[in-house]
Amino acid sequence: MDLESVKNIAPMLLRGLKLTMEISVVGILIGFLIGSVSGYALHGHFKAGRHIAGVYIWLIRGTPLVVQALYVYFVVPLLISAATGTNFTLESTAAGIIVISLNSGAFISTIVKGALDGVEIGQTEAGKSLGLTNRQIMWHLIVPPAFQSMLPALFNQFIISVKDTALLSIISVNEMTRQTQNYIARTFQTVPAYTVCALFYLVLLSILMVLQKFIEKKFSLK
Amino acid sequence: MSSPLLQISHLSKIFGDLVVLKDINIEVSEGEVVCIIGPSGSGKSTLLRCINQLEIPTSGDVFYKDQNMCDKKADIRKFREEVGMVFQRFNLFPMRTVLGNVALAPVLTKRRNKQEARGKAAQLLERVGLESKRDALPSTLSGGQQQRVAIARALAMDPVALLFDEPTSALDPELVGEVLSVMRQLAADGMTMVVVTHEMAFAKDVADRVIFMDNGYIVEEGTPQEVLESPREERTKAFLSRFLAS
Repeated sequence: MDLESVKNIAPMLLRGLKLTMEISVVGILIGFLIGSVSGYALHGHFKAGRHIAGVYIWLIRGTPLVVQALYVYFVVPLLISAATGTNFTLESTAAGIIVISLNSGAFISTIVKGALDGVEIGQTEAGKSLGLTNRQIMWHLIVPPAFQSMLPALFNQFIISVKDTALLSIISVNEMTRQTQNYIARTFQTVPAYTVCALFYLVLLSILMVLQKFIEKKFSLK
Repeated sequence: MSSPLLQISHLSKIFGDLVVLKDINIEVSEGEVVCIIGPSGSGKSTLLRCINQLEIPTSGDVFYKDQNMCDKKADIRKFREEVGMVFQRFNLFPMRTVLGNVALAPVLTKRRNKQEARGKAAQLLERVGLESKRDALPSTLSGGQQQRVAIARALAMDPVALLFDEPTSALDPELVGEVLSVMRQLAADGMTMVVVTHEMAFAKDVADRVIFMDNGYIVEEGTPQEVLESPREERTKAFLSRFLAS
């Protein structure tokens, strides 16, 4: 493995890395949004909300990510086409973002629920006894400590989701792993290509881990 | 005769099959200090929590200034702004400073703007002897200090009355005194207080009236001298002798 081959590999992998990052960032952000709403629904008193969130989490937890990707990319467009009588298609990248969002959202909702449930009932009672509204209690007394306590699990899920983007190669998303495979298919440079690919993931995820340390420190009480 | 500030009328509370409170009737006048004593499990804390509707009574009524707070249309939030509560386990807000704990509710309920609220909070902290801890987090304080912050937090709403739910039961013995002395001062300043407590000396010195509860009933009620020194009921005598023996 020499510098020359790395030089050849880098541009192609960087293009893959860009797509990996785009799908990860957008997918995690939407996933966090979905997870917050669905986690709040699980924590809350509305029976319908709890049931809808429960079914969603059950479906995602009960099927492999790869199957979810195949389903969103191949099956859903056919179903929509049949239902609307049009010729609906879905870009593989868009399908990838949808899959990462839905998948991380399900796991994040259980993290959010656990963190909300974990805040002592005494906080709610103190808020009530001071005449605060339920919304003020939620926003000022429950969410801040819940957010702080969910950070480690949340970043764990973010890291998992970044790695899950590698599985999107199965629906021909040209993220970094698929780019690497394509490169090897043309050049047979197996050792340098996979090595550089692994190193790129390591750097990307290390940045995320540093970000985690920074944010946890910012929200810690000490 | 003016009507009482708080009137609890035929109040019952049932959890599942468990009858915790049975036909409770209490009146509390403005400026009065009422201490509720009794063995654990007698329903004292549940009664206190039924007053400000942290527990919803199964039947009966709680009148505050002649308005029924068990009525569906009652403004419970406004009632709670005026009748504060101090908890056994303090329930301070862990991510806020001592000053932030005291100033939060007056700002959110729009009683005061932020500047005013912090000024008033600082005054209250001085009153409970904790002005030097204003920027500390609750977790760095002793139990007695935390409970004094909790009292200042309740006072920040300019309450008409305060409910105390065993305010010294979670404290180390040597820290009980500092909390009781703050409460004595409040009573001396004319605050209306309903105090669930095991501190017999406090009840004897400070209470205008003592209520002894057992098994969900009010067994006996009277002046501290009547209830604590010459109780009429056997159950009161048994409780007090057990209490003094331990």
